[in-house]
Formats: sequence, C-alpha cells, structure tokens
Amino acid sequence: MRVGRILGAALALAAAIAGCGTGGGAKSVAGKDTLVVGVSKDQPGLGQRQPDGTFKGFDIDVASYIGAHMEKTPKNVVFKVVQYSEREKAVQTGKVDLVVSSYSITPERKTKIAFAGPYYVAHQDTLVRRTDTAVHNVRDLSGRRLCAVNGSVSWQRVTVERNVPARLVPAATYGDCLTKLTSDSLDAISTDDLILAGFALENNAVRFVNAPISDERYGVGIRQDDVTGCEDVNKAITEMYLDGTAGKLLKKWFGKTDLKLTTTVPQFEGCG
Amino acid sequence: MTLTSAPPSRPPARRSGVARAIRVRSLPGRIRAFAFLVILALAAVFAVSALAVQDARDGLRVIGHDAGPQVVATGDLYFALSDMDAQLAAVLLMGREQNLGSGRARALQVYDQRRSEAHRALLQGSNLARNDPAEQQTARSVLDALGRYEQLAGQALQLDQRQSHAAGPPSKEVGDLYTQATNLMKLDVLPKAYNLTLDNGTTVRRTYESKHSEVLAGRAWVLLTGLVLLVILVGLQVYLAVHFRRLVNPVLALATVASMILIAATVGVLTSEADHLRKAKNDGFDSVLSLSRARAISNNANADETRYLLDPALADTYEQVYLDKSQEILYVPAGNLAAYYKQLDQRVAARSGFMGFLGTEAQHVTLPGQKAALDRTLRGYQGVQHDDSRLRSLATTSGGRHDAIVVRMGTASQHFAAYDQALVRLTAIHQKAFQNAIRDGDDGLSGWNIGLPAAAIVIALLVLAGVRPRLSEFR
Repeated sequence: MRVGRILGAALALAAAIAGCGTGGGAKSVAGKDTLVVGVSKDQPGLGQRQPDGTFKGFDIDVASYIGAHMEKTPKNVVFKVVQYSEREKAVQTGKVDLVVSSYSITPERKTKIAFAGPYYVAHQDTLVRRTDTAVHNVRDLSGRRLCAVNGSVSWQRVTVERNVPARLVPAATYGDCLTKLTSDSLDAISTDDLILAGFALENNAVRFVNAPISDERYGVGIRQDDVTGCEDVNKAITEMYLDGTAGKLLKKWFGKTDLKLTTTVPQFEGCG
Repeated sequence: MTLTSAPPSRPPARRSGVARAIRVRSLPGRIRAFAFLVILALAAVFAVSALAVQDARDGLRVIGHDAGPQVVATGDLYFALSDMDAQLAAVLLMGREQNLGSGRARALQVYDQRRSEAHRALLQGSNLARNDPAEQQTARSVLDALGRYEQLAGQALQLDQRQSHAAGPPSKEVGDLYTQATNLMKLDVLPKAYNLTLDNGTTVRRTYESKHSEVLAGRAWVLLTGLVLLVILVGLQVYLAVHFRRLVNPVLALATVASMILIAATVGVLTSEADHLRKAKNDGFDSVLSLSRARAISNNANADETRYLLDPALADTYEQVYLDKSQEILYVPAGNLAAYYKQLDQRVAARSGFMGFLGTEAQHVTLPGQKAALDRTLRGYQGVQHDDSRLRSLATTSGGRHDAIVVRMGTASQHFAAYDQALVRLTAIHQKAFQNAIRDGDDGLSGWNIGLPAAAIVIALLVLAGVRPRLSEFR
C-alpha cells in the first residue's frame, strides 16, 4: 500500500534525524570504562610506589574515591607514574585521563590543561638539615643551595616570585632532593608542606622551617575540553568532604605530623 | 487500486481485528481508514510538539528562573561575605587613626551593611534552593560558620579598640583573633559560597546542552510528523476527488491549511525558543557567571592586599595568592608581580594576548554598550594594579609602611571601588540580555498549553466533518 510505503520511508527518515541528535564532542573521562590516573612514585604520604608495584598515599586514596564516584571498580582505576615535567603533556596527549599528583593549579598550567578541584590547599614551606639553624624564612635561602625539581613550580616561587637568589641544584624528584639534602649536596628543599611533612616523619636529620610562602591548590589535571569530566570530579570531591572521607584520609596520612589540616571543602577553580 | 489486495506481510490476527472494525475492504471502510490515519498522524504531531514545547519550557525554567538566578544570589552572597572580611581587615589596620581613607567609622558601617546583605542573600539562596537538600545543607552550614565568624570578628574589634594602636599590624592577641576569623571565612565560608555558584553554573550548562538539542530534535520530529500528516491529508483529498468526482473537499482543505499553519507555527516557535535559550546562555549567563566569579576573586584579592600589610608573618603568602588571583582575573604570562604589572599594561593597551575572566569577556563582545563598559573595567583594573605596585614598593622600603597604609586606605580603595562599579555595570549589561532572552522565551511559549491541543482538536473535527457527508452517502 502506498500509504504504508510512505510511512515506512518517513519512519526511516525519522530514525536518521533522531540519530543525528545524539553523540558529538570528544569523549569525557566520566564515560570511560577504565580511568588512567597519573601519580607520583616517591612522595611519602601522597603518592608512593610500593615494592609490589601498587601505590599508596593521600593522592592515591583521593583518586580511588573519584574513580569510585564515577562508578569505576577499583580494578578499573589504573595508576601510572608521570614525571613532574611531563604532567601537562600526559593529559594533553591522553596518556593519562587524570593527574592526581600534588599538582598545583597555576595560571600558566591552566593555559594548557584544566583543573578540577582543588581537593586540598597545601602551603609551600622549607626543609633544611636539623643542624642548620640559621634558616627562618624564605629570604634566608639567599646564597644557599636549593633543590630544583624539573617541572615543579616550587623553586620558581623562591627564585622568581620572591626574587631570592638561591643557587639551584637540579633534581628529578623530591625523593632525590631529600637524598641530596641529607648527604649535604644541597641546603634546602622548598615545596609543599604535605610533601615535606612526609619526609620529616621518615627522617630525623631534617627540620621543618614553618614559614609558609604560598597557597598550593592541589588540582586534578584533566583535558581542557572535558568540562563534564571536570564537573564530575568536582562533585566527587564535594562528596568526599561532605561524607567525612577527606577528613579521615588527611588524618590517616598526615595526622602524625604537626600540620594544621583543613577538613572543609576548598574553593574550586571551576570548569570551563 | 484493487479492493482485494491486502499486503501479505500483515498478520491475519490484525486483519480480523482492526481491519474488520473499520471494514477496510469497502469504499466507506477505506475512507474511515484514511480518516483514522489522519487522526493518528495528527496525534503524533501533537505529541512531539507538546514534548518539544515542554523541553523549551523546562530549559527556560531551570536556566531563567532557578539555577540562573541562584548564580546571581550566591555571587552577591560571596561578595558580601568577602567584603565583610575586607572591611574587618581595614578597620584593624587603621587602628586609632581617624583620617585614613573614609575612616574607621565608615568601614564599620560598611561591615554591618555587608553583614545584613549576606544574611539576605543567604535567605534568598536557601529559598531558591528549596528543591535541593544538598544546597540547603550548604546554606545552613554557611549560616552557622558565619555566626562563628561574627563572634570572632566582634571580639577582635572590641579588643583592638581597647588597645588603641597606631596604623599598622594590631597586637598579637588581636592578630590571632583575626587570623582565626579570616581563616574561617577563607577556608570554610567563602569556598562553600563560591562552589554553590559553580554548582548552579554546572546545572545551567547541562540543562542548556540537553534542552537546546532536545528542542532542535523536537523541531525535526514536528517537521517530519507534520509532513506525514500533510501527505495523508492530501492523499485523502485525492482519493475522495477520484471516487466522488469532486475537485475539492473544502472542509478537508481547511483542515490541511490549518495543519500547515500549526506545523509552521510550531517549527517557528521551537526555532525561536532554541535561539532564546542560546542567547540567554551565551550572551547573558556565561558572562554573568564568569564576571560574578571575577568580582568575587577581585574582592578577595583586594582584601589580600590589606592582609599583606596587616600580617607580616604571612605577607609572602598573601603576595603569592594576590598574584595568583590577579592572573585568574586577567592572565598575562608573568612569573612575579613586577612582570605582571608590565605585561598587563602592554597587553591591555594592545587589546590582545591576555586571558582569564576579563580576557574571555574581551573576546566575546556582542552586546550594545558592552565594549565601552569593558574598556572602563579594564582601565579600572589597570588602576587597581598601579596602586598595588606603588603600595608594595612603599611597604618594602624602610619607613614606607605608613605611606603604604595611606595609599591602601585612600586612593587604592577609591580606585578599587571604581573598578568594582565598572565590573558591576558590565555584568548588568549581560544580566539584561539574559533576562530579555528569558522573557522573550517565556512570552513565546505563552498560550501554547491551550493553543496546541485546541488546534489539534479543531483540525481533528474538521477532518471528521470533511469525511462525514461522504460516508453518509453510503447509508
């Protein structure tokens, strides 16, 4: 029947139109089966690789919480070590979906990637050898040998932002810095108190100066165009503070240090 | 067309049911079948139209009357809260000196004013959030924390007045009370208010993305089902013309014309609704949100400038967060404040090469008056940064601290107020575009709840009236 044929054709066309309405845009990490999270491997308390290849630390627990909130099973949250200097690139190229690695939100980094969070606001402080009693604040680092980790903003906050003429000693990781500090190859490490607190707990030969010079907002690095994923991560972080998990995790990893921990949700950077 | 053939694919069960009911094998049966198809197609047009109109209505409600206004309310809340803390810092910095800027009494007056504004915005916010338990919980905890803040601030003010110090950092006890108060504000209250703004921004964005595309998809469905309806109507007309030797059935022709008008009107209204939604979001809301955030961050940075003078122990941190916030408001590549001031002037003069909230705004000039308002805002912002540069260089030269405080309380505070006003005016332009688009959208849909079903019923009655005389010829 003619009418039947016309109706049939119309329905086919309708299906085609309806099909056009869906999809479009790059895939959000929220919809992926497996979440690949870039982390660091040698930061006690934050992100540290164990001899058996697993990871542990505050960053790891936060990433796991975010993964669970995005309905990923623990098996489908995969951790991958990312070098400090390669974090932006790893996100941009899709090598990792998220970076959770004591990763400070900075205006410069924001020109390349987006940040969900911050999930915590740390403060930059300084670690020296216990025997070195002359360092009281960042200006006392003038002329001293300061550890400069490639890709970290911390040493720049001292030498560029604060204009303190410290002598820079390059290192690949903060683990390296600590080795060099205790072996007298350099005089000071200036970076986030959460990182330094972990070191100070494990090592008796070093001392915390306790003169903060910055707010370090730890963000979750994510592709710039993935606004949905970024919003979902923010939801997870909000939930993490609301249900008390954040407080528990902070206590679990840093409760033994002298740090004053903030257990209320930080002011987010905003997505898109 | 033969009367005997029936499509072989049709299941026998249906033939014995539906086919018998309308007696499709006879001429009147076929007319009835045609009429039935027309009504079916009309029902489809009605259904997809009603759904699409509802989508547009939902979009307008969330964006225009719920989450959208929430962004403004929470933005006002943030401003009032952060200015409370800024005024408190100013009062403590002034000490007993009466002739700094507008004076201690005026600052205290502004503090009180902001406090009642904050309470009002909180009340309004929790009214708007009555459907969202999480937001309500947040509003309540902000209120609790604000109570604690006011208590600490009151203690600090009282103690400071009793101790009566020269302009500059107050005593350690007062300083400690202030640190507790400002930390409560900075770490607890303000983040919650800011995140509420962002949450509502997310709601608007997601609603827009789904509703805008659903309205457009709905429009395609209206076109398609409308086309089917018209084809069947014309088919019926032709069928009647062939079998009854009449050229036109006027009532059916009227139904066809009415259907065409209905379809065209529906497609038209959906097109303009999608456009109103787009305008509300892109020309209005997006800028209102980012400029509200810019205002929040600006006010906070301005207070950090005061805190830099107030708390020498944390001066380094306050300077770093000031740079960070400045770059969020207007980004130019710069590793320290000296480089920032320089790059700012160069790039703003060139009107290119800067990003951040004001950079995004500068790249999206679409509204009348926006350019002039933007220029005023940028000039104001430069003025604020020039003061900052002067103030910091005074504060770091020996004996210059008092002069820095004079600048802070005097010109810097006036220039900041001028910048803030310019920002508010710029925001108002977008706010107006937003409200206009929402109002146009609401107006465009008014009457559709009744008009659409009424039109469908009228067309159905016309169709029945058109075929009835033909059917009666068989009685």
